[in-house]
Amino acid sequence: MNKQIKKIYFDPYLFFSLFLLSALGLFFLFSASNADVSIVSKQFIYVFAGFVIMILVSQPDPDIFRRNSGFLLIFSLLLLGLTYLFGPEINGAQRWVRIGPFSFQSSELLKLAVPIYLSNFLFNKKLPIQRNEILISLIIIFFCFFIVFRQPDLGTALIIACSGLFVLFLSGLSWSFMGGSFALLILSSPFIWNILLQPFQRQRIATFFNQDSDPFGASWNIIQSKVAIGSGGLFGKGFREGSQTQLNFLPETETDFIFSVIGEEFGFLGVLFLLIIYLFILLRCFYLALNARDRFCRLVIGGLSLTFAANLIINLCMVVGLLPVVGMPLPFISKGGSSLISLFFAFGIIISMSTHKKFLPQ
Amino acid sequence: MIFEERQIEKNNFSSRAIILFVIIILGLFAVLVQVFTLQISGYNDYQLAALKNKNYTVPVQALRGEIFDRNGKVLIKNEPTFDLITQPNLIDDIDSFLDEIQPVIFLSESDKFQYKKLQKEKAYANKELVLKKDLSAAEIARFNVRSFNFQNAFIAKRYRRISDYPNIFSHVLGYTSRTEDAYKSMPEIPRSHWKDAELVYAHGLIKGRTGLEEIYEDHLRGSYGERVYEINAMGKLVQSLSITKPLKGSDLHTNLDIEAQKSAAKFLGNRRGAVVAIDLDSGGINVLYSSPTYSINQLSNGMNEDDFQILINDPDKPFFNRALKGRYPPASTIKPAIGMYGVSKNIVNWDFEIKDPGFFTLPETGRVFRGWRKGGHGKVNMHKAFLVSSNTYFFSLAYQADIEELSSHLTSLGFGQKVCLDCFDEDQALVPTPEWKYSIMNAGWVKGDTVNLGVGQGYLLVTPMQLANYASLLAKKGAFNEPAIVKQEKVKKSLKIWQDNKFNDSDWNKLHQALLGVIESDYGTARSIRDLKKFQVAGKSGTAELVSLDSKEAYQEVRTSELLRDHSIIIVFGPMPNPKYAVSVVIENGESGGAVAGPVAIEVLKSLINE
Repeated sequence: MNKQIKKIYFDPYLFFSLFLLSALGLFFLFSASNADVSIVSKQFIYVFAGFVIMILVSQPDPDIFRRNSGFLLIFSLLLLGLTYLFGPEINGAQRWVRIGPFSFQSSELLKLAVPIYLSNFLFNKKLPIQRNEILISLIIIFFCFFIVFRQPDLGTALIIACSGLFVLFLSGLSWSFMGGSFALLILSSPFIWNILLQPFQRQRIATFFNQDSDPFGASWNIIQSKVAIGSGGLFGKGFREGSQTQLNFLPETETDFIFSVIGEEFGFLGVLFLLIIYLFILLRCFYLALNARDRFCRLVIGGLSLTFAANLIINLCMVVGLLPVVGMPLPFISKGGSSLISLFFAFGIIISMSTHKKFLPQ
Repeated sequence: MIFEERQIEKNNFSSRAIILFVIIILGLFAVLVQVFTLQISGYNDYQLAALKNKNYTVPVQALRGEIFDRNGKVLIKNEPTFDLITQPNLIDDIDSFLDEIQPVIFLSESDKFQYKKLQKEKAYANKELVLKKDLSAAEIARFNVRSFNFQNAFIAKRYRRISDYPNIFSHVLGYTSRTEDAYKSMPEIPRSHWKDAELVYAHGLIKGRTGLEEIYEDHLRGSYGERVYEINAMGKLVQSLSITKPLKGSDLHTNLDIEAQKSAAKFLGNRRGAVVAIDLDSGGINVLYSSPTYSINQLSNGMNEDDFQILINDPDKPFFNRALKGRYPPASTIKPAIGMYGVSKNIVNWDFEIKDPGFFTLPETGRVFRGWRKGGHGKVNMHKAFLVSSNTYFFSLAYQADIEELSSHLTSLGFGQKVCLDCFDEDQALVPTPEWKYSIMNAGWVKGDTVNLGVGQGYLLVTPMQLANYASLLAKKGAFNEPAIVKQEKVKKSLKIWQDNKFNDSDWNKLHQALLGVIESDYGTARSIRDLKKFQVAGKSGTAELVSLDSKEAYQEVRTSELLRDHSIIIVFGPMPNPKYAVSVVIENGESGGAVAGPVAIEVLKSLINE
């Protein structure tokens, strides 16, 4: 027992690549916020807290997550319900829980709870998983998606849905079922468009397909983002030298569009470097997932790292103009505590699951 | 068994994870390709788009060229004054700003009102707005002491267009005023940027409106410079990036003569009229004066509304440029032209005599055309006809003329057309023809109309400019340069403007002798001015005494009839025998030609000859 307590569960590859990413993030944020020291110091506190949380979370045996997955899901949903009823309204959406000077976006917790709960639900089922199990999983996914979607927060809702679907897919969902669901989704798209989407969401999608329609209105963000990235060229304009960023032509530089800042100021080479770090992290997660000690851990590592990947790719595609604009931060770089803490939490779980060896009963 | 199932599960998981991982790689790759498209392939376009976002080019005003007289004395210059200039984008509350600055700089209610109005119109992107022009030395000193209180205002040098002779050169030099279409001269700067133009004139973007300022606008204006500012997304100017300096406009060197113009103004006094003088060697216009006048300094630099209304409503119409636009019957000054016509068409020669009973009777109708002297001049040949200005002689000469031929002869002397190369808004006046009369009055040309032309009365109308041009032509025996105010780069050799085989040098000499006699002989009608000078002068005076004519009623149809009375007119050239200058003078309601207009012409000639 004594030996076990002294051991610190730690993955150097993930730790250092995340450290590099977060450090770069603070550096980019300094430029993106027009050298606003208070924003950067606040973010620094989040990063620091994130690392502490990650290390703490990675210490206990991952079984604790399995045993408490139901409690985690219910707690997340309750928190979300409370936010929905009492949370302050910011920009037409109720997403925040205030704790002292810090506010927390309660939907972030669901990003963790959904894949962990589903992994727990599915890991010991017989393959291929049965219709009932699929149905229950889908109901849970859709329910969580819908609650967040109604806040309204399409970006986070999509990520939550993805995180659940990834686990479902990895745990052996049959191909025929997926084909059928996809056909159903296509058929129901007019219904989704007309009934489920808010007018501003519809407009964003319409803007995406006709980007020159309204250069000073709806298309402004995406046009300015492309101009910022494109004008960066191969080497970029230099730190704090990006005119699109520094003169405020680019919107949301600290959050959704921080990638455009990097593109403008550090050019193609900077972008390449950043993408290599992300790719390295994903590769490491992929390796850890394949070598995890049991099925539950495999599913959770897979689900969480794929969620992280989806989050990353949706943000990137959005700012370079390959997807319609949805509110989605760039992981580990964008300003904001909630998503950062939940990301560190997720990586803490990943590290915990990949470093603890299975205690086999004698 | 358990192990086997676990292995299947693991393989299943692995293959699915690989599928998803490949999708992720593809996604990242798609992003990279898109970034490559934007940053490498599309770099030039996006680079330009980013520059277009942040770069804001404003025009930088150039100083206009200055205008000089023929001796190099300045007529219009750029005079600096010190103005209080504010930066509206730095002023939070206009009213409290005005209250604060009030004790330092005196501001009238209308100053404040005007300022607030402009401030609103020009919105936030404006970098400067003039609050008060032409500060006094005391105001400048007071402001400088307190300038640290006013981070949003400063005193700077601004120019005005000033003439030291604002009243006597008003019509010929013209004035400038603020223009809204300066942007047309530089299409590469968007129109909306012109409101932020960097100014050197207190009155902003100005443009010549009349006179030389208008005619030579392109020459005087120079070319705008460009200053590139960096702006942020809100349109606020952040910093100046670069400047291309403006080029000052070119100066104008004119043929005008300050002293002669002064004489014209002095001797015309406050009478209505005009003086034009031409340098016979070059065709250069030395004097172009119309009376009454107005101050171009006031007009160019902001005249108050009341003063402007007084000028507009003045019955003497000071804005009307009589020298170029006044239409007058030439009266007896036309007689040399008629004589030239008679000789060249073999109707008369210099020896031909008539008996002048003081009137001419039109054979067809018995209508009587009277001379200016009751009883007539007795036996009259052409020489005497010029000296005593015999109407009867020229009535009978004109009676034998063909109107078409006579009209074209008058046109060839510069009447009925614009004669000045660079005059602003010159009028072509009128040489009548039968077609003209038919189209205007719906009546046929009658012989009496031609007879009237013989003494410069009737439908023929000329401007003082045309008269001076005509006098020059007479002085130079038909060879003469096109009149121009500004010194032309290449002075052309005198052109033979008027030429006729049957009007030879001896005819010209006889004509000059006769016109010399008009002033210098004991019988000349303008002999009263003979002793005003020491040199000899040739000329012809005229008086439009239309009231004494029986055919008065014939003119009542002429629309300009109120202008057709009692104008005193003279054309002169001298010094003889080698004339250097020609002058025309018209004085409205001057009564007697030689005695009234004559002295003015002589004084102008004296100034030009420098006597």
